[in-house]
Amino acid sequence: MSNAKERKHAKKMRNQPTNVTLSSGFVADRGGKHHTGGGKPSQAQKQELHSGTSRQRQIKTSPHSLPEPDVNEQSSSKNMFKKKGGWKAGPEGTSQEIPKYLTASTFAQARAAEISAMLKAVTQKSSNSLVFQTLPRHMRRRAMSHNVKRLPRRLQELAKKEAEKAVHQKKEHSKNKCHKARRCHINRTLEFNRRQKKNIWLETHIWYAKRFHMVKKWGYCLGERPTVKSHRACYRAMTHLCLLQDLSYYCCLELKGREEEILKALSQMCSIDTGLTFAAVHCLSGKRQGSLMLYRANKYPREMLGPVTFIWKSERTPGDASGNRQLWIWLHPTLKLAILEEIKTVCLCSEPIKSDVCVPNPLPTPVQEKSHPELADDIVGKKRKRKNDEENAKPVKKIIGDGTRDPCQPRSWVSPTTGIIISDLTMEINRFRLIGPLSQCILTSALKAAPVHTGEEDTEESPHHWWTDTCKNSDSISLHQRQEAVFQLLGGISSPAEIPAGTILGLTVGDPRVNLPQKRCKALPDSERCQDNEKVRQLLLEGVPVECTRSFIWNQDICKSVTENKISDQDLNRMRSELLVPGSQLVLGPHESKIPILLIQQPGKLTGEDRLGWGSGWDVLLPKGWGMAFWIPFIYRGARVGGLKETAVHFQYKRSPNIPGDFPDCLAGVLFADEQAKDLLEKYRRRPPAKRPNYVKLGTLAPFRCPWEQLTQDWESRVQTPEASPIASTPGGEKSDLRRHKVPCAPVPGKIHHSSTEAGISENQLTEPEAMDTGCQDQAGTEKVLEQVATENHVAATSSQLCVLRNRKLLKQLSAWCGPSSGDRRAPCRDQQELTTEACLSILTPFPRALVWVSLSLLRKGSPEPHTMICVPSKEDLFRLSQDHHYHGPQESRHSDPFKSLILKEKEKKKMEKRQNRDTASMGLAVGELTTGQEALTRGLWSGPLPGMTSHCSRVLLGFITQGDFSMAVGCGEALGFVSVTGLLDMLYSQPAATRGLVLLRPPASLQYRFARITIEV
Amino acid sequence: MAENREPRGAGDTELDPVEYTLRKRLPHRLPRRPNDIYVNMKTDFKAQLARCQKLLDGGARGQNACTEIYIHGLGLAINRAINIALQLQAGSFGSLEVAANTSTVELVDELEPETDSREPLTRIRNNSAIHIRVFRVTPK
Repeated sequence: MSNAKERKHAKKMRNQPTNVTLSSGFVADRGGKHHTGGGKPSQAQKQELHSGTSRQRQIKTSPHSLPEPDVNEQSSSKNMFKKKGGWKAGPEGTSQEIPKYLTASTFAQARAAEISAMLKAVTQKSSNSLVFQTLPRHMRRRAMSHNVKRLPRRLQELAKKEAEKAVHQKKEHSKNKCHKARRCHINRTLEFNRRQKKNIWLETHIWYAKRFHMVKKWGYCLGERPTVKSHRACYRAMTHLCLLQDLSYYCCLELKGREEEILKALSQMCSIDTGLTFAAVHCLSGKRQGSLMLYRANKYPREMLGPVTFIWKSERTPGDASGNRQLWIWLHPTLKLAILEEIKTVCLCSEPIKSDVCVPNPLPTPVQEKSHPELADDIVGKKRKRKNDEENAKPVKKIIGDGTRDPCQPRSWVSPTTGIIISDLTMEINRFRLIGPLSQCILTSALKAAPVHTGEEDTEESPHHWWTDTCKNSDSISLHQRQEAVFQLLGGISSPAEIPAGTILGLTVGDPRVNLPQKRCKALPDSERCQDNEKVRQLLLEGVPVECTRSFIWNQDICKSVTENKISDQDLNRMRSELLVPGSQLVLGPHESKIPILLIQQPGKLTGEDRLGWGSGWDVLLPKGWGMAFWIPFIYRGARVGGLKETAVHFQYKRSPNIPGDFPDCLAGVLFADEQAKDLLEKYRRRPPAKRPNYVKLGTLAPFRCPWEQLTQDWESRVQTPEASPIASTPGGEKSDLRRHKVPCAPVPGKIHHSSTEAGISENQLTEPEAMDTGCQDQAGTEKVLEQVATENHVAATSSQLCVLRNRKLLKQLSAWCGPSSGDRRAPCRDQQELTTEACLSILTPFPRALVWVSLSLLRKGSPEPHTMICVPSKEDLFRLSQDHHYHGPQESRHSDPFKSLILKEKEKKKMEKRQNRDTASMGLAVGELTTGQEALTRGLWSGPLPGMTSHCSRVLLGFITQGDFSMAVGCGEALGFVSVTGLLDMLYSQPAATRGLVLLRPPASLQYRFARITIEV
Repeated sequence: MAENREPRGAGDTELDPVEYTLRKRLPHRLPRRPNDIYVNMKTDFKAQLARCQKLLDGGARGQNACTEIYIHGLGLAINRAINIALQLQAGSFGSLEVAANTSTVELVDELEPETDSREPLTRIRNNSAIHIRVFRVTPK
């Protein structure tokens, strides 16, 4: 009580001047007079007992002490308080007395100090509020913070100071140049060039950055999703209209050399099992685009590198003796490094070339280097004027293409033995993708074939020599006209899906900026164009003839000259403004640029039964520097633009794997999964434990990632363990069911125990699932487990990693088994069932730990999300489904959380330690180090090594979903993911034919299972 | 065309499924007017009927009502197209009339090779189609 009072008082006295605590001779005088005076009242009281005389004197003087309160004030707070207590006890308790005399000088000195302290306290405001905020309410006026004069005079000074300060602070925040200077073209270009150094900007970057949420990914700045709400609008654009995407971040590798040599080298990297290879006839002729999976050389089922698309340049003359060919391989930037390295080793290309192919690069680089010191100088600001004059002499060039690349870094390599030249054409070519049925209308209305130069009147003036040269050749003119005719035919075809998949068409077009419409409009199919039946029919049947696939875009020199001779937007607009009739067509004549382009048809959904051809479209390849010149015309014709999210949606509805995320067996996919898991975990940790799902209780072992390795391993051991010989353990109806209940019981409790006790200590938790697993089994220490380890070791020797099944034959077989057997298909189905035991084995022996890409569609309710678990339904589930039409699926029972008590204990321990820390600092340090060494447990997450994945919940786990959402195309939940092949076969075998292919899905944050049908589309 | 004849001839002897995969392409169609309705077998029958009815009735006060609509059915959906047209007529108390046209549609099947050494082939297949014009007449 008294303590609190004391504190309160101390707080009150805090702002009192300290220099006036009865120091100096004042007290000393009194102390000298009396027995140490008021300095120590307890002492004084004691002395009071001894001396009665002094007491009497005090009583006498006490009435005098009252009119001089500052004696009280002068004493320190503690003294004063004690004195008050004494006062209460009785009037005789006052040990205060009036000094007999005062020394004027010391007294005045003390008062002066006091006054100055008070003045200081008044002028210095303790709160951090502004001056006008301290005014009482009735004195406040509107806009006081802006206008100093609205304040009372006495405060105006202060307010002015404050306002200045605020302005100062603001100035520190902003850029050191004024807005106008920053908007100035040269400064802007410099600034943009500087900002492009770390991450590559696409040519459409500025356009995107104004309208999209940008992300820095894969070394590029990419638009992720539009800032406007447009999920459904983008879907509609893909299905009925046209969606435009900038895919220039895709990398292009060029291989030049003799056809046989290239084919021989690359054939090591792909397998005919997964589909067509580089040598497919129609691709090799240059007629079609091909796509395939690349593997590390001669490692076919394992060590995937990634999916690529490729185009061969068509042969100019069939009987060319040199046989030199050109091949472009297009791939995702995350795969580039690995694939480039592998191709280099396969082609034996080790010698970097810096000569002619490197020429386009040094051009922008000196400017880049120059821009450095200039930027530094600009900060100084005084020299700016002079610098600008210098710059006028040689204007700063915008970075076109890759701004991050080191100019000394080689971009092409040659092989001394085979003569193959590999060059990296990243950012040299723009790639725009148009998706949807209107894409052809947009193309035909936005692009016009280049006019042929007829007269020789001004050939010397024209900067486009290459075009005038080709126009002299009658063959090339006729070819150009044929290409134009084919291109015009496209406008009469209502959907790109009607054209053969991967058709290539080369073209040379005029400047698309010239005939830009005044306003944004919508290109609609013209019914008149559709009348030309015979030609259209021929195009649909045969595709584009081989000659028409030729384009000058394959020629680097022409591309370079086209990029350099582009008329700038500024000049074009000036010319437009100088037209005699405003708004009339601008005619540039021979000065108009001619741009070689390449159009590639992208097949939409090819597999499966429904929505065939969905999401088909055209890719446009342009030389660099021309991106925006084509981008705006496309948008003005009614294309809608999408970002990375729309790409993902496109892939999902097409039911094809999205590139980095859906390739768990390639390095980029693994990295992507790790990153995603990290992000999700961070997001999860940011929420308070009560406001986030407890995944341990929900029975979700890995909510943020898909532990494929462990899943496949678990399934392998599940099938192998109970019987001695692995051959006898082919999945058989009752046996597998029995196993389902028997196997999990033994190892799981031990593992849980193990994990809970050693959660913090084991280091290799997440990185090495195999090592960890064996560790677990050592703990369990039973004979069975030892056997298991032995078999696993054997398997590990034969097949170290998981792989994804991409063998087309096997996939076809699996997809046939997955479907439910309807009446007419019963006969072949029975045939396959007989096959099953052997057939399963034939699949499983080469791929013991394989995954397979499946698509799932929900039967009734539910919309799946990524990391949703795919589980095997039990017999009762299927029975209830057939009985009850409103049965949505079983519920998982709540799990117990073994970590909760651990976390609580940990907390207690920490508290104890903290207390100990306070006591003994040195001891606490050592203990603290120990605790920090342990990984902090997160509430609601499974920590430590995961126990048996498959049998952790009441339904056996089969796989995970990587993409999933409510599908607007189908009208129900749809998902894509991977399941273990072993598990899938086991499940299919035990299911009755009528309900074959039914699985259960459970999202990580839910206990409800939902029914879904599994299909494998080949 | 010569190229197309050849696979057509080969089609009689049923191409080896090991060497080719059959991929059906979308049927070629003309640009769609607002009063064209293509009937399919996936969408619910009632929904398609309601859609046709809506087109004929127009908005709340009958604005934007079409005086005639075209119902197209291909192959298996011919039955359904006829059914929709007749239902519309039956529910209109004699204010709608029906005129049917039949035609043949050429469909393209693509044969995708499974081996590198083979060219992709296309086959032409015919299928029957129906185009029903449903139009308003002033009842007598």
